[in-house]
Amino acid sequence: MTETDDHYNMQPRRKAEFYNPPNHLKLKVGIGGLTENILNKAQALLESNTVDFTPLAEMYLDAMMKGIEQARTPDVDLDKETMIGAILFPGMQLKANGGMFHYQLVTQIADRFIQFLEVIETVDHDALEIIIAFHTTLRAIILGRIKGDGGKRGEELMTALVDACHRYFEHKTSSVADNSKYNIPS
Amino acid sequence: MYSFDRVRVLVIEDNQPMLEICRTLLLTFGVGEVLTAKNGEEGFKIACKENPDIIIADWMMEPTDGIKMTRRIRNDSLSPNHYVPIILMTGFSEKKRVVQARDAGVTEFLVKPFTARDLYKRIAQIIERPRQFVRSEDFFGPDRRRKADPVFAGPLKRDSDMAAKSAQTTRMKEASLELDKLRRESGLSKTDKIGNLDANKPSDIGFEIDFK
Repeated sequence: MTETDDHYNMQPRRKAEFYNPPNHLKLKVGIGGLTENILNKAQALLESNTVDFTPLAEMYLDAMMKGIEQARTPDVDLDKETMIGAILFPGMQLKANGGMFHYQLVTQIADRFIQFLEVIETVDHDALEIIIAFHTTLRAIILGRIKGDGGKRGEELMTALVDACHRYFEHKTSSVADNSKYNIPS
Repeated sequence: MYSFDRVRVLVIEDNQPMLEICRTLLLTFGVGEVLTAKNGEEGFKIACKENPDIIIADWMMEPTDGIKMTRRIRNDSLSPNHYVPIILMTGFSEKKRVVQARDAGVTEFLVKPFTARDLYKRIAQIIERPRQFVRSEDFFGPDRRRKADPVFAGPLKRDSDMAAKSAQTTRMKEASLELDKLRRESGLSKTDKIGNLDANKPSDIGFEIDFK
């Protein structure tokens, strides 16, 4: 390699300019970071918040149910991404906020729910069944005010939902395989 | 120790309890002033008026979300500082979402739920390892590439890394076989050293690995 063969001696097609803005922030804060004491104090404040998460959670669950209803009676103009998004976005809010307000199990279950919604191609009947199961479970946790990870019961709920998702994808894969075997479009 | 008392942070979050939590954490870190806004539209207006040092924004907000607000901060002529560090808070952690945020010009990504330390780490990253900015035909924002670390000793993740690693292993094996052959031809055993060479050191056996 020679010094002149950057980009294989071809003219770059897209120009990019680079800037290094002055680091005013560093000049303001100085050096050394924050002490463990401050970080521990901040974490203790975070953990001791007494915000009631249930009204917020119910708002997100209601929004999710609206998305589910929309998917049950699909509008011809509604594309798949919008349809899934209407269910996914409230789910994301539950995942994001549950753990911030002591509902770690809500975060864990909503996380698996998002993972499911991120990979399904369409909201078909089977997918809707699973989505409703997630919604019902999350609602039960909120109404039952089950804080933390829910212990053994929480673990069982999580396992049941994750298993249902696995069964859904196994069923989908075998259906596609069967259809391709008989040349049936899926 | 950091002194944040001259730092002004704008937090944009439509969820009031979450906004309060962020405010409390930042004030505990010693931040001098925490400005707040309830959506991207309001946040942009406050940013234009107050020119904060850092912006921390939620993603999902109505009518203007954190991504749209970031694009405005980076590209709108009214924006007082196109380079201001923006930390995007979200429940999303999937790669495609991170890429979406990165392509909007977000500096750091903070996945909710987060701890006080997580928030601090993002702020420290902005201070200690600021990204250079890049302007191309269709993008202006922090450089989306991570800089190569010449002494990186962590796991290799990219396909190209794996190819380089595999090539290195092959060349080491070949070098070792070559040494065995030399030993046999010279009537030496494996415990005998050839000069001061060490077969386990690539530089000693003339095979400096070229990863280019």
